[in-house]
Amino acid sequence: MTEQSDAPAGDAMVRAEGVHKSYGLVEVLKGIDLQVRPREVFCLVGPSGSGKSTFLRCINHLEKINAGRLWVDGELVGYRQKGEKLYELRDREVAVKRRDIGMVFQRFNLFPHMTAVENVMEAPVQVKKRSKGEARDQAMALLERVGMADKARNYPSQLSGGQQQRVAIARALAMQPKLMLFDEPTSALDPELVGEVLDVMRGLAEEGMTMIVVTHEMGFAREVGDALVFMDDGVVVESGSPREVLANPRHERTKAFLSKVL
Amino acid sequence: MNATEKGAAEPGRPEAIKAVPVRHPGRWAGAIVVAVLAAMLIHALIENPAFEWHVVGQTLFNSQILHGVRVTLELTVLSMLMGVVGGVLLAVMRLSPNPLLSTVAWIYIWVFRGTPVLVQLVFWNFLGAIWVKLSIGIPFGPEFWSGTTNTLIPVFTAALLGLGLNEAAYMAEIVRGGIQSVDEGQTEAAHALGMSQTTALRRIVLPQAMRVIIPPTGNETISMLKTTSLVQVISLQELFTAGHDIYSRTFQTIPVLIAVSIWYLFMTSVLTVGQYYVERYYARGANRVLPPTPLQRLRRLIAGKPTPGTKSDVVPGLEGGGHV
Repeated sequence: MTEQSDAPAGDAMVRAEGVHKSYGLVEVLKGIDLQVRPREVFCLVGPSGSGKSTFLRCINHLEKINAGRLWVDGELVGYRQKGEKLYELRDREVAVKRRDIGMVFQRFNLFPHMTAVENVMEAPVQVKKRSKGEARDQAMALLERVGMADKARNYPSQLSGGQQQRVAIARALAMQPKLMLFDEPTSALDPELVGEVLDVMRGLAEEGMTMIVVTHEMGFAREVGDALVFMDDGVVVESGSPREVLANPRHERTKAFLSKVL
Repeated sequence: MNATEKGAAEPGRPEAIKAVPVRHPGRWAGAIVVAVLAAMLIHALIENPAFEWHVVGQTLFNSQILHGVRVTLELTVLSMLMGVVGGVLLAVMRLSPNPLLSTVAWIYIWVFRGTPVLVQLVFWNFLGAIWVKLSIGIPFGPEFWSGTTNTLIPVFTAALLGLGLNEAAYMAEIVRGGIQSVDEGQTEAAHALGMSQTTALRRIVLPQAMRVIIPPTGNETISMLKTTSLVQVISLQELFTAGHDIYSRTFQTIPVLIAVSIWYLFMTSVLTVGQYYVERYYARGANRVLPPTPLQRLRRLIAGKPTPGTKSDVVPGLEGGGHV
């Protein structure tokens, strides 16, 4: 493919090189370099306002980056490169690329006017033009997998936070993504509901899904994570295997942060 | 003890509180005053021969009035249809990132909301005086097709254009408010699933915006029903014009106007009931328990059961109404 002419080696699922993002004068990301391998559970941790959620949203182009390069599965995010020139992608082309990237939000963002099963069916029917019967079967199988089959006909307002988040995960999986982004998936949950969502995520990791997880759940990161990056003030401060970084942080900022959350 | 006799019917359950409720003597006094005033008003209405109640009765089903009712309904339905479709289109244009579309929509709303609807009605009716002929062709070049304005735009069409185009400007602002009331996370979730701008709007944003859009739209419809009486200035035979014609012949102004008002009142009442059901439909998902329909409330009243939502009202019973 021409657009990959000067892309780095294609073995990375996500690759960032000097990614910058600013809102007006406020620089939120100040040059992020990292690499996420296929089948890896990649944890992003750090204090709020450190830019980890913003970076996650750049990966599926919900935010435009101002400088640097970002590749998903070997293809540039948001642009097409021909020779030295970059061409911005049309909304429709961006939408096509987003099909392969699932996203789970802190606030769930389920569609409140649809039942759980309708939420899961919606994208396959509207975007992939699947038949309703086929989409419903697939949706029921996915709800079964996240333990929500018996609530398939409930509206989101009738579900607890943990149940809503599990439906949201099923909804993202319905597009059969090759990469899943989790934006603080348990931060809006009551403590006793966190476990059920983490269990579903653990199951996904075991099946080999590539996952990028912004989280404050250090236990989950240590147990399930393959790689961990600590971000602060728009830069990557420290990275490595979760066990290593969490047990023996090298930087002062990492130590200070971990002493508060562990 | 008194409470133990009835209250402790079921074992293991706490006794229900039995207390003397607060009395409201002020309400009773007020009710008597209102009843007396109402009786005085009814007396004044019946006794005064100027009301000519028998004429009201005759006029109510006068064929000219009935024809007027039909025209009023047609005009209301069609102009609201134009208003809603045009309004959605204009609202989407105004919110569009395309500067050309948003400016055009802004100018449209500025003009049609900023001038009296009466002026717009007269304008469309007298279009023939400004441009005698309407044609389709290339500006300053050849024309492919043409016709006389007055045959192309009869009075009914002029009335429809005047009311519908004006309504679209108001509906645009209502729809825009509705769209903006939907949480941004909804659009984001839709985009993250790979939906296009249009699909997200049609499937996710607009259905949720409806909950905010419906009540003012009901208002607009009721208002439109009465605004149609303005077309009297271009002599279209709707309900009010029909009444006007009759009383300028018979000079029975008051009874005819009462008959006309009874019709307006009846039609707005029907619309109000319709609005209730439409609102209830779009509330699904937003309310855990849907409010009972007037019919359900009536049944319960007869059966002597308590009104508040019981298990039978819980939304899953609705099955999501085929909205898939």
